[in-house]
Amino acid sequence: MNKDKKIFIESTEYIYRAEHLTLEGTCSVDHGPKKFKIKNMYVDKFPVTNKEYFDFVKKTGYKPKDSQRFLDHKPNKIQSYFPVVCVSQTDAIEYTKWVGGRLPSDEEWQYIAAGPDYNDWPWGDQFNPLYCNHDNNSLRPVNFYKKASSWCGCEDLSGNAWEWTAGIHDDGQHQFALIRGGSFFYAQDHWHVGGGARKTNFHWKLQLLNEGMSRAETLGFRCVYDA
Amino acid sequence: MVLDVFTMHKTFTSKNKVIEFSSEELFFSLNYQNTISFDHFKISNSNFVNSKNNELLKIRVENNFIPNNLIKIKKVLNETNNNYKICSIEFSQNYNRDLFKGRISIVQKKPNIIDFIFQLSVKWKDDIPKKILLKFPFLTGLYEHKNFLKPGYVFDKNKSIKKGSWNFHEYPPAMISDPNSKVAVGVEFFDQFPWQANYNLGMYEAISREGFEKYETEVQLTEELSDVVVMRLYSSSEGRNEVFKLWKENTRNRYDLRKYLKSTPRWIEKNYLQHFTFAYGKEAFDYKSCKFKINEIIEEGKKFGGYDSIIFWHQYPRLGLDKTNQWNLYRYLPENYKSIKKIVDLCHLNNVKFFIPFKPWDVRANESLDMHAKFLEKFISETNIDGFFLDTMSALPESFLKIQKKFPSFEFCAEGTPKEQRQIEQLTSSWDQIGDIRRNYKVEIEANIFRFVFPEHPLNLVSRWSVGSDKDAIIKRAAFNGTGLVIWQDVFGCWLPFSKTQQKLIKQLKKILVKFHDIFFGNNSIPLIETLSSSIICNQFANNYNNKKIYSIYNFTSKKINGPFFNIDSNADIQVQQIYGKLSAIKIQKTKKTKSLCGTIGPNEIILVHVRL
Repeated sequence: MNKDKKIFIESTEYIYRAEHLTLEGTCSVDHGPKKFKIKNMYVDKFPVTNKEYFDFVKKTGYKPKDSQRFLDHKPNKIQSYFPVVCVSQTDAIEYTKWVGGRLPSDEEWQYIAAGPDYNDWPWGDQFNPLYCNHDNNSLRPVNFYKKASSWCGCEDLSGNAWEWTAGIHDDGQHQFALIRGGSFFYAQDHWHVGGGARKTNFHWKLQLLNEGMSRAETLGFRCVYDA
Repeated sequence: MVLDVFTMHKTFTSKNKVIEFSSEELFFSLNYQNTISFDHFKISNSNFVNSKNNELLKIRVENNFIPNNLIKIKKVLNETNNNYKICSIEFSQNYNRDLFKGRISIVQKKPNIIDFIFQLSVKWKDDIPKKILLKFPFLTGLYEHKNFLKPGYVFDKNKSIKKGSWNFHEYPPAMISDPNSKVAVGVEFFDQFPWQANYNLGMYEAISREGFEKYETEVQLTEELSDVVVMRLYSSSEGRNEVFKLWKENTRNRYDLRKYLKSTPRWIEKNYLQHFTFAYGKEAFDYKSCKFKINEIIEEGKKFGGYDSIIFWHQYPRLGLDKTNQWNLYRYLPENYKSIKKIVDLCHLNNVKFFIPFKPWDVRANESLDMHAKFLEKFISETNIDGFFLDTMSALPESFLKIQKKFPSFEFCAEGTPKEQRQIEQLTSSWDQIGDIRRNYKVEIEANIFRFVFPEHPLNLVSRWSVGSDKDAIIKRAAFNGTGLVIWQDVFGCWLPFSKTQQKLIKQLKKILVKFHDIFFGNNSIPLIETLSSSIICNQFANNYNNKKIYSIYNFTSKKINGPFFNIDSNADIQVQQIYGKLSAIKIQKTKKTKSLCGTIGPNEIILVHVRL
């Protein structure tokens, strides 16, 4: 596996349209359809792994101001190439800065996953449970579903672990972030956050509190880089 | 009025097969010459059946009604045994060699309460059951009478309209009143368990909604007589208000309400204003300092008259993102559990009680309710919280009962009003939740019947998605029913605040609820009392001594209404004072025979009037 592989995304314009399944309440962002300009950029083929993130912590001495639940998943060696989780949006941003990148915006993430053909799933329009970590009760390493890459070659975009996107949205009364892709985990009830792999046009409104509440065992990230 | 005179007699002449049954207010004569029908169903002197709709029962087998001429009377019983009076007719009908047997009884064992009991059996000729449907023609006659009121309805000029609601499994009676006297009768199809086979199946639906014209109930009969319909009549010569009291007394009689009757008052009885504290927003959380703004919430609450409790809400809609359960999620709040302890301490300093929610839908496959009870016990010890809010529930799990043994002042409040007997006995506080965002829900100002049957069960009214005029209506509905409110402004990320005017109205209402607690929550309250004016509805709250009352009067029209509103029966002097709403020139008007409350109420206005007898 070439973990350092960055994929080039050429500048273009595409029509952004996201879906958001609300339990109750609203997701007060413009879900489109609207035109969105993609600038030239690179994107990591895989989400950031435990190995990569722990290297970052080791090399930079990064310590979050509020360390509640930070890297609480405590990966063992076998899990080195699992996506890193239990990181807040801030933790993710700090890593991306260190590698000279940033988090993708919600719109960029969707383009990386759906591509110019507006695929429903990274690999095409039909759901295929064999192409993603959809309900396996635990994370799997990146590059596990080799056939399931998106149009540009990115993997692990649906299922396995949710991914942070950039930005804190503020509707005047609340702060929230948008997360993408779904995860391996299914909670049992319809009042729970919907589980499993998610379509390329789906985002979840994660209402923000402190850092501890923003870290979850199903939530990681990937980097993009301005070209 | 207590019945001390009871007479029955029967006539067994071949020409005139009639059995009669009378009480002070009611008179029935059953004719069993050809079929079994009412000659009279009299309330006072008015007959409520006619020749078109006087049959008691029609049996349909598959597509055919059994012809009347097939009925054979087997036995007629008419007895009085101490206070137990019974009159019954046993009959059989042989139809295509299927043999039906039946018994129709009228029973009185309590003054002013009479049961009509319909029982049937069948012996199928080939032991293969057929579809059986029953019709009750006399009920069509009662239902269509102009003096018939469906449960929760009031008269408005020449029609009746719905102005009451309930969502528990005690069904308030429909009312029939004699047009020429004050005599009224309540008609109840009591039904503790709605899915019990062969028993009052759908009768309540029929009497409260669609009527009996097209109504047919399906029964599964055996060779033994089984109850299929039991209709209970409550009668009073003192009008509908007394009928309601009679029904209420009879209904409450089987409940064990000891949990409500502790020697020391329960704090939850005075939990008038409950703040729903949604953690993920600027009302409750300071994103810069990363701290909860409990002081600010309590301060803001003063604009509403002061919060009595808050429910702290941070689990939904966050649970399920990963395997973290509802208890572990507290670990990730700022400062861990300590932040909850700090908030609770702050609340207690300000005399505000603190609830956390329990999510039954988050009980995982490897967890039990006993396990959650243990978590709760530990949580109470660590944080000193006062109550548990039962999300999506309307019952208290048995596993949680022991918590109150260890922490006697710990209270449970459920999202839904309890519906069944055991739930009402054990779960001593709940929300009165109304509303539906999906269907253009309009908040109606109507009586919540449950609140008047069980006034000791505190309710907090809430309609989470209501805004604008609907929020005005919530406040009016709370004032009309004398209930507290949930102040919920941040609905899972939607900011829906009350206006300053609404805050002021709530503040006034709370002040009144506090001051007149003994009247609002006394046990002599009656919903939708009889009024002298259509276009208004009125509830009466009365203390346990029945000498202090509050009337909530609502003008549901768009026109100004001038009283008199209703009569007040009292020989003593009556002092009246308006305590809520736009000034309405309230006074007592006396005639030789009556005293009535008069005044003027503006369109869609509500007033509360304090009356001292």
